[in-house]
Amino acid sequence: MNIILIGMNHKTAPLEIRERLSLACGDTVNPLIEIMNIPQIKEAIYLSTCNRVEVLANAVDEKGAMDKLKAFIFNHGNLSPEEMARCLYLYYDHEAVRHLFRVASSIDSMVMGEPQILGQVKDAYRTAVEHNTTGVMLNKVIHHAFRTAKRVRTETGIASNAVSVSFAAVELAKKIFGSLKGKTILLIGAGEMSELAAKHLIKYGVEKIFIANRTYARAVQIADNFHGKAIEFDRLQDKIQDVDIIISSTGSPGYVIDVSMIATALRRRKNRLLFLIDIAVPRDIDPAAGDIDNVYLYNIDNLQDIVDGNLQSRKQEAEKAEAIIEEEVSNYREWYNTLEVVPTIVSLREKMEGIIRGELSKSGSWMENLTEQERNNIEILANSIINKVLHDPITSLKEESRDNGALPYIAAIRRLFGLD
Amino acid sequence: MSDMDILFLKAALVVYLISALGYMCSLYIRRVLVAKVSTWVLFAAFVFHTMFFVFRYIKTGQTPVVSIHETLSFFAWAMAGIYLAFQLKTKTRVLGAFVSPVTFLLMIVASTGLGGHVSLPGILQSNLVPVHVILAVIGEALFALASCAGAMYLMQEGLIKNKRMSSFIRIFPSLTDLDRINHLCLMWGFPLLTLGVLVGSVWARTAWGSLWQWDPKQVWTLAAWFAYALLLHQRLAIGWKGRKAALFSLLVFAILLISLVVINLFFVTAHSFI
Repeated sequence: MNIILIGMNHKTAPLEIRERLSLACGDTVNPLIEIMNIPQIKEAIYLSTCNRVEVLANAVDEKGAMDKLKAFIFNHGNLSPEEMARCLYLYYDHEAVRHLFRVASSIDSMVMGEPQILGQVKDAYRTAVEHNTTGVMLNKVIHHAFRTAKRVRTETGIASNAVSVSFAAVELAKKIFGSLKGKTILLIGAGEMSELAAKHLIKYGVEKIFIANRTYARAVQIADNFHGKAIEFDRLQDKIQDVDIIISSTGSPGYVIDVSMIATALRRRKNRLLFLIDIAVPRDIDPAAGDIDNVYLYNIDNLQDIVDGNLQSRKQEAEKAEAIIEEEVSNYREWYNTLEVVPTIVSLREKMEGIIRGELSKSGSWMENLTEQERNNIEILANSIINKVLHDPITSLKEESRDNGALPYIAAIRRLFGLD
Repeated sequence: MSDMDILFLKAALVVYLISALGYMCSLYIRRVLVAKVSTWVLFAAFVFHTMFFVFRYIKTGQTPVVSIHETLSFFAWAMAGIYLAFQLKTKTRVLGAFVSPVTFLLMIVASTGLGGHVSLPGILQSNLVPVHVILAVIGEALFALASCAGAMYLMQEGLIKNKRMSSFIRIFPSLTDLDRINHLCLMWGFPLLTLGVLVGSVWARTAWGSLWQWDPKQVWTLAAWFAYALLLHQRLAIGWKGRKAALFSLLVFAILLISLVVINLFFVTAHSFI
């Protein structure tokens, strides 16, 4: 098949080695140009993300090309051969195709099913296309990989459930409010996780965000980041009754929001649903607030439980995904195998068409007496006879090629019809 | 040609069954996609069912909502239609898993008595009777849908409240959407039922001589009507929302069911005609 893949990922190589390699490749040289200098390599794609560095190539001489690629990585990563052997994986032919399909489908990712990797593969491909380093083979295999990734996404639940605390919060909010358009959040305190959750909520349509902090200046600062509005800490009660979602993560040792605050707010807001997310440890919101009707209170452990459950179910979905990938790899192999019969089919057709042309021109003298219509009919007749004659041999050739057994037939046809 | 109506009824019955099974299946395998397909199947059943009404009307020359079986089939038709109308706005696909089995069961009962021609007793040969039935049945169908949404709300609410992360949460519609459907159904159902009862009593005055008979069916319907009035008041004025409103709408529908089913089966009522 002549397709090879070399690389390292988060499972095989520690961060510092991947880092060294991707840095060295990113800054100083364009890796694609250097890779294309290897004479055995006809096409190449270079993929580098936080979790992996990989080269996919179409090579004339697989072994030779692989050795050169190893040397290329060895140079840039400053690796000793022992280290390199431990970190690198090498795949040939359909193994390489399978690995590519698994990467694109996010089965090989650190967080299985995460959506970024497909975009990164697409970017890598775009760069390769811009540098003119791809051709028929890699174009075909990479598009097949995109198609496989799409199938995995739509036919399995691998990417459907949140696997981070902040996304779990977004999913819950959607299950409570439906659309998040026009909803408002109140962010109490600061913290990476709560700000991330707020960011995701905004991405999904939340329109207004209010920030409260014991230090007002800090609230203003965060509010600027989110294009939100800072509010005074002692005006918390007023805001609770307006907003739909509250994310709290202060460092306060006691409760910042108690039951009576929530109960009052709910009465004033005419029982509109309220979603409370308490990310703080120790907790900010009195757990008893969660017992009030139409109030939904989730703390950090509750969210983490959801994430754990989802990770578990992703693992189950991964089995389905592997089956899809296997199917697509064998589809690809079938396609590839038909490639070897294509030149024979083409030259067979060319030969036949040549014969028709020759015979028609020989008969030119007596055909002059015929009308244009009659001459055309004769041509059509000759072509359709040829098509009928060729139909069975071509179909059988294609069928044989699927099982990889076409070579003797190709040889026979080329000899019998004198194609060489 | 003369049996076209029955043909369409049977087709509708079968397609209703397919859509109900599809919805059940989507719940079982927890995939919304199957419910989406089932929605289209339900739409097909609804179209067949509509054709049944058209041919029935052509055949008999009377609005086919008067006999008890016709009324049940009309009830099923209204429920399916209203549910489908909601699908245009809010995508609450899986709600169909609650609606379609009900419509199918109604259709089963209805189809047992729709074979031959029903000749109406003279007393029912008034233009007011079909109007009374249509208004009341559409109102009641809206209430039935409100309680389907309410039941689903309670299930989804329970899961979210108790942090039971089953995969049902994911395929069930959001609380807000379900609450909105419950609310809208009440808002439309109440005036329709009110009008239906009023038209009924106007007719009763011409047929029986008085507006109100204290018939058990009338009494129970009135009880349900008051309960719905109360619920609507609580929703609009007091701001009942979510769980309480959903629960209450289920309870009131139980009263309405007594009036619709239990009374006709076990009590002597002036409302049982044919």
